[in-house]
Amino acid sequence: MIAIIDYGVGNLASVQNAFRRVGYPSLVTDQPEQILGAEKVVLPGVGAFADGMTTLRKKGLTDVLYEVVEKEIPLLGICLGMQMLFSTSEEEGLHQGLDLIPGRVRRFSLSGAYKVPHMGWNQIRPAVPSRLFGDVPVDSYVYFVHSFYTEPQDSQVSSASTDYGIDFTCAIEKGNIFGVQFHPEKSSLVGLTVLRNFGELRP
Amino acid sequence: MIVFPAIDLKDGQCVRLVQGKADDQTIYSSAPAEVARRFQQAGARWLHIVDLDGAFSGKPSNLKAIEAIADEVSIPFQVGGGLRRITDIQQLLQVGASRVIIGTRAVEGPDFIKKLLDEFGDERIVLGLDARNGKVAVHGWVETVELTALDLGRQMKELGIRTAVYTDVLRDGLLAGPNLEATRQAALHTGLSIIASGGVSSVEHIRSLKAMEADGVAGAIIGKALYEGNITVAQALEAAK
Repeated sequence: MIAIIDYGVGNLASVQNAFRRVGYPSLVTDQPEQILGAEKVVLPGVGAFADGMTTLRKKGLTDVLYEVVEKEIPLLGICLGMQMLFSTSEEEGLHQGLDLIPGRVRRFSLSGAYKVPHMGWNQIRPAVPSRLFGDVPVDSYVYFVHSFYTEPQDSQVSSASTDYGIDFTCAIEKGNIFGVQFHPEKSSLVGLTVLRNFGELRP
Repeated sequence: MIVFPAIDLKDGQCVRLVQGKADDQTIYSSAPAEVARRFQQAGARWLHIVDLDGAFSGKPSNLKAIEAIADEVSIPFQVGGGLRRITDIQQLLQVGASRVIIGTRAVEGPDFIKKLLDEFGDERIVLGLDARNGKVAVHGWVETVELTALDLGRQMKELGIRTAVYTDVLRDGLLAGPNLEATRQAALHTGLSIIASGGVSSVEHIRSLKAMEADGVAGAIIGKALYEGNITVAQALEAAK
């Protein structure tokens, strides 16, 4: 069972449906025992960084997430969920994240044709090797909606990158911690492949 | 350029109308979610969904079918038709719509649009610019108001709207080609990113629209032509590349 962490960030049905379509049942929950008992954990997210972190802390879920990582349960952060894995974010001030991936979350500072938020389909370049993108071709299209991007301290954790005015890290892998900035649940067959790969992982 | 296969819903079924007329209707499928899945399978990256009952009545009424589509596909989709209340818009976004299209309600006053932009952000709100002989058509295209589509587009751009679906009502459902010149004018004179709709039915039409990308034409909605087999999703995507 995959536990999708529920911390009041809107509709999680699309993530759940996508996992169901690739053959992995999931459970939307905020219960520590269900999260810690799961084979995989997904940290989804939309909205503001500080709000997301505040809610996680209030619900006692930050400690649960540290325990997930300690127990080596594969963890996948999606969009804001990936950003919260990082040390800090400069979204509306400077805010502390989970610090599971050293690095920071920065605002796009772009000009001309590059509008913020970065919204729409864009191409990714998976790094080699990658456990999440093993069978995803270079320049596959995935769907993004975000105004901030991650900048890991150690570029080795970057498992895919995308060009949007700058070349940014759009996915990370470090041990059993994974993150994708795009929305795999909205990224058609490529997104489903990524979710299937996550479902198939053996810690 | 983005290709948007269209799914028009009436009584939970996938239909097409001609020029938006409710009495000129063809039913293509009673399982819209299945149609959506086929579009995704064919490579579509977006879907355009219209709640026709909503457009005519002003009250969304195909939520169940839209939910079924959301459950079935993993691609973003936009929904329009009868969206006049914040709660209805919230509900659609909650169900999984990536963007909502506001038509009639945009004509009735800028305050509502301002509120929507504040609450949901400019990436979620799309203007439905429906034109009949240059004038804005409203209430399911049953009425036309004394306001040009270009003026409405400019006003909305000033408020912060970024994208509009430009439909030439008289072209819709006729497979006779989009109103290319009017579409280009809409892009040039409003500064909005324009999605062309109404009459797009061949590879040539898509190529012509693609040639206007620099002017601000960013997408094409294809409806009847897909259902009638005039063009496939794959051909449309290839032409839009």
